[in-house]
Amino acid sequence: MDKFIVNIIHRPEMVPEYSATVTGQGKEEDIGDKALLTESLDIFKTQQRLAHENGLKVTIQMTYAALFNAEAVEIAKHDHEVYGDEIALSLLGLPCEEFREKYKTKDFCIWMFSLEDKKAIVNDVFEKFHDIFGFYPESTGSYYMDADLTNYIKETYPTVKCAVATCWEEGPKAYHTCNNSWYTLFDGGPWAPWIPSKQNTHAPAANEAEDSGIVAIPHLSRDLIACYDGNGSNFGTHPQNVLRGMIYDTKTWEYPYLYNLIDQYRDLAKYNNGYAYNMMFVGPGWMNKMGRWEQPYELLYKSYSDGCKYYGELKKEGKLIDMTMAEFADYYREKKGVNAGNYNEPECAPWRDILYGSDKQLFWYCDPYMRACVNMDQGGAIVDLRPYVAKLEWPVGIGTKHVQDASYPFLIQEKYRAGYFTHYAGAGTVRSAKLSYKGEEVDLCLCPTHCHFSEEVIDGKKNRILTLDPVEIKFRDVTVKLQTKEYFEEGSSNIKIERNILEISDPTAEITLDEYITACYGTTEYPEDMTGITLACEGENGETINYEYRCRDAKLDGATAVSAVVPAIQTKVSLTASDKALGYIEEGYAFSPMFKLGYKKTISDKEVFATWLNLEKAN
Amino acid sequence: MAQLGKGKLNYRCPSCFMRDLDIDMFYNKDTGIYSCIRCPYRGDEADVLAKNEDIRYRYRAMYERFDKFDFD
Repeated sequence: MDKFIVNIIHRPEMVPEYSATVTGQGKEEDIGDKALLTESLDIFKTQQRLAHENGLKVTIQMTYAALFNAEAVEIAKHDHEVYGDEIALSLLGLPCEEFREKYKTKDFCIWMFSLEDKKAIVNDVFEKFHDIFGFYPESTGSYYMDADLTNYIKETYPTVKCAVATCWEEGPKAYHTCNNSWYTLFDGGPWAPWIPSKQNTHAPAANEAEDSGIVAIPHLSRDLIACYDGNGSNFGTHPQNVLRGMIYDTKTWEYPYLYNLIDQYRDLAKYNNGYAYNMMFVGPGWMNKMGRWEQPYELLYKSYSDGCKYYGELKKEGKLIDMTMAEFADYYREKKGVNAGNYNEPECAPWRDILYGSDKQLFWYCDPYMRACVNMDQGGAIVDLRPYVAKLEWPVGIGTKHVQDASYPFLIQEKYRAGYFTHYAGAGTVRSAKLSYKGEEVDLCLCPTHCHFSEEVIDGKKNRILTLDPVEIKFRDVTVKLQTKEYFEEGSSNIKIERNILEISDPTAEITLDEYITACYGTTEYPEDMTGITLACEGENGETINYEYRCRDAKLDGATAVSAVVPAIQTKVSLTASDKALGYIEEGYAFSPMFKLGYKKTISDKEVFATWLNLEKAN
Repeated sequence: MAQLGKGKLNYRCPSCFMRDLDIDMFYNKDTGIYSCIRCPYRGDEADVLAKNEDIRYRYRAMYERFDKFDFD
């Protein structure tokens, strides 16, 4: 039977994010404001009551400030005894008089501190927790947990087995939404639970040696279309985020979208061996009595109450299991086969539009070697690609090269680097194919379709396969019916894309198929230095181009591979082909800082031609 | 003219929201007008509420309840 797991998390935050600054606008800052403390505890108590009334277990993430509050501590102890709630420790909610006095800073995001301060803060809060409760926590978290932080926690406090470790696609888009002031720059991670590697939190561990020792969960379960395109904080299993996005009926205060979102996550069990996951984690600042933006308190309260009620109803119907974070960590390791030594089971998520009224469909794939997004609305093009295989060591925080930017770099990102190109001059990152005939050219990006998911063992290897509905490419004189299949072989770090020519209206017509990837690297919308990248047509009489923005190209008939080594992200990306074809490489130029790799081949009726996109670590 | 403050609810600028920006507006209690501190939008409460309804044009499926998520 399919299992749909939910983690409900509450944190008693004595100075809730937003409350002090937003609702306290026009007042001098008073971090010890007693009215604020009372209100914060009231919100925590309300959240606890709503979860318990609906029969749901909670993970209580005590904040540092809450450890100084006797009432918050008593509530946690009581609810642990009575309801089986887990008492955990959050690294959010650091700000309080005691913290400010000790660390002399207004910084509050644990991943941005220097490593020295991270260690001192961890020691401080974990020992304080132990003093209060008499044991060390099994779960912790923040909006982001960098690898150095996680490794230190696991080494020093080995009881920890679960952590909230990233917010999915909370990067430049969230920054932009807050008028370029919200520095949670950590795009490129998994959307569903994973085991972080010791080298990089975003990149799942490939084996026991890489295993950081924790199970990571994302902060909220997010809409895999809406969050990818827009503000992540409007489209997640955080009822007040749905209100933030104004996705509710102002007359009835109803929000079917919230339930559609939860239900689509439930549906993902079909693609993940009968397992699906949700988490709901609403900070108290989102339920304060002053209201939040357009929403009065009554609506904020209603939405949280309804969220708990829906999960509670699913539980009563036997469709959901509520777990604490620590319980979930044990369940996850067993379910994913990690306890048996397999770290390679991927996370798969075909995702349809449930908000904008289109029939757009994406497929998200994540394993220890890559995260990829396939866009069926663009004929199965790959529109986002993160080469986890490099397990890029990327320290963040004060004293490192990346004080704020914790994103895992991309090779392809259609929103930040144009994707299928429609503008005046240049190119965009995408992995697609073009067909041409007698001077006409059609990119498969312009052939919207849908996919069907299946699993198959091929040559002893498990494959997750997307079979796309056939598309028709109409040239002036000839019509080509083509079907794409995309294979994700477990543990392989490659994606095979197969084009099946089902029918050509004139079987004698010579159609050229151009399989290509246009790529670059980066973490934001802005270009990086491409100098140092080496492009190669590999094979006998192969050629290389060292990137100098000179718009050069090279080609090689029968190339064994066409490749690019990107030293800045320690990654080699290449294409290889199933049959002899013309391999080519193209350097970009200053106005188009991209590179392109491809294969061209003349195809005929009923022919099948496959290419592989391969990712390797390159030191 | 006295300084701007907050209204009874903390309305965001509908024009900025349309471009994925959450910008608080400030309220002039003498004129009853909300104004954006980033863009030139100005409007009374009725106008803000009307524009907030307009914003929802892009959520064409927001009143629908889905029971099928694949295309099989």
